[in-house]
Amino acid sequence: MNLNHQVTTSKGDSYCLEAMRTREHSTPTKKPTSPKPENAITIAVSSRVLFNMDVEQQIFEQKGMEEYLKYQVDHETELFKPGPAFSFIKALEAVNAQLRDLYPESEELFDVVLMTNNHAHVGVRLINSINHYKLFIERFCMTGGNSPIGYLKAYHTNLYLSADSMKVREAIEEGIAAATMFTSEKVTQVSETQLRVAFDGDAVLFSDESERIYKTQGLDKFFEHEKAHENKPLDHGPLKGFLEVLGKLQRKFYAKGHRMDCPIRTYLVTARSAASSGSRALKTLRAWGLETDEALFLAGAPKGPMLAKIKPHIFFDDQMFHIEGAAELGTVAAHVPYGIAQKLPPKKTKDAKETDSPSK
Amino acid sequence: MDPDVQESAETQQSGSALVTAVSCHDIFDLSACQTDSSPLAKGAAFSFINAVQAVNQRLVKHNANEMLRFEVILLGKDCEEQIKSKIFDSAKHYGLKIGKFYFCSRGEFVRTLQANNAKLFLSTDRDDVYGALKAGVPAALLCQQADQQVQEQLKVLFSGDLIGLSEDVIDGLKDFGFSAVQIQNFKAAKGCIQEFAALIGEMRKRFGCKDSPLQTILITVLGSRDVCATALKTLRGWGLDVDEAFCLAGAPRNPILTTIQPHILWDDGLHNMKGVLPLMDMSS
Repeated sequence: MNLNHQVTTSKGDSYCLEAMRTREHSTPTKKPTSPKPENAITIAVSSRVLFNMDVEQQIFEQKGMEEYLKYQVDHETELFKPGPAFSFIKALEAVNAQLRDLYPESEELFDVVLMTNNHAHVGVRLINSINHYKLFIERFCMTGGNSPIGYLKAYHTNLYLSADSMKVREAIEEGIAAATMFTSEKVTQVSETQLRVAFDGDAVLFSDESERIYKTQGLDKFFEHEKAHENKPLDHGPLKGFLEVLGKLQRKFYAKGHRMDCPIRTYLVTARSAASSGSRALKTLRAWGLETDEALFLAGAPKGPMLAKIKPHIFFDDQMFHIEGAAELGTVAAHVPYGIAQKLPPKKTKDAKETDSPSK
Repeated sequence: MDPDVQESAETQQSGSALVTAVSCHDIFDLSACQTDSSPLAKGAAFSFINAVQAVNQRLVKHNANEMLRFEVILLGKDCEEQIKSKIFDSAKHYGLKIGKFYFCSRGEFVRTLQANNAKLFLSTDRDDVYGALKAGVPAALLCQQADQQVQEQLKVLFSGDLIGLSEDVIDGLKDFGFSAVQIQNFKAAKGCIQEFAALIGEMRKRFGCKDSPLQTILITVLGSRDVCATALKTLRGWGLDVDEAFCLAGAPRNPILTTIQPHILWDDGLHNMKGVLPLMDMSS
């Protein structure tokens, strides 16, 4: 799609007026402008993963939409507490700051967009909280109940995080990397300077083709199959593209001499074993021209303790069992609802509460 | 030359109705006009009328004596005699509830609008819209629909930059490369917007959060999120709580507009799209 910029200065750059004005008057708080969507790595987050809205969600479920909206407006000046994606977003901003230092003219930066089903009535409260935490979120879509898919595409979204698994599923079906996030009681402290992203292998970075064999024919057949096809790259999974863009940014840091202390670090955390089936995973990554900084082959052992050592800002897995295991030990884990590991979608209850939410 | 007026049996009491004037050229396709008795083909914005009628139906359902409804009047500029009767018959053919038809010359249409207390003038023609705004007639762009199937909701879109940008930024717009004409258009659009927003706001309140036939949307392209917040609060102060809000921070707005598919767009005049209809084409 050839996108035209609607507004241009005489220099031909698109811009954001307020930020431009700040630059011109050289105030101490110089606010950077948002990159063009096609240049940026766009991360779309819903309001419930950015901020904790458990109280409000409960009001919606118990008393309905009108009461929920009234509550939000009445509490407009009250701050939200951080949600599950908050520390991940802060880490993205830390990476951006370092990228801007090294490449001041480049627009290859993370751009965080608020993509929510919420009604615009909640807008002022959300903006107040974003201002308070000094988050660099300048773009948002409050769709008032409509599907976000069209807007995700319009922003060339590289990753979509939401509390609503139905929307996440829809996004994945449309080829957009996406994962569901949950509020957790326990959250470990994570780095404020180095972004750490951990990925499961099968059905996340890779397709679920091998997982199917394991689930339908058992572990032995799985090993046999993987050995026989060791040199055949696996097909790609929904998060491959996101690993790819992270790799691209990493190389920008390497190019300026920051290999050892790169502000982005990636991990493969897989149930495959190093001795056998792991080989195919690594060869596949190599065939794609990708790599992770560390590859951890757990041979079926629980992932929680390993993740607690790594302390990633986010961990992607297709199986709720691993997500829960990770969360129990304080890791922020996001579920990728893709492939054979998914149970059938839950039957709708009478009042359709599961599919009904004011905000995602 | 006095404007020609034809009234149909559909004339309603004006009173507090939202008298909305629409150009014939937008509702019907006047280019391929046959001399036979077949009705005119549907125009670029035909589905707008259906959406408006759906809103009216719902308003009356809630309250049979509802005075605040859309009253659509049709404006024809420089129409030949045979076209006039074709327009009248076509409206009847499609079951359009149009109260009045005004035919006038191009130079007189603003005066015609003013004389008939049009609370809103809609056109796909930017020049017509800004001409009306400069004369103090509330006017907005009527958007082409990507396809002619009836949309479920009437979508009314407001520019957040228009409502939320502070006065000193507006004065400094020329420093950002906007032309004098664009700035004039901006000020004209700003001058007329409050009353319209208030009326739409009141109409919107007749319906609940869900399942409303009328949807209100705010889109901020240039201003920051604080400009968007200011616009939201300002509209609330005028009586309109918008349903959807978008803040683009300089991102191209066409892809977003294409997804939204608005009918009415109260624009800020800053977007240089002379001769180009407001989007609706996926290839743009």
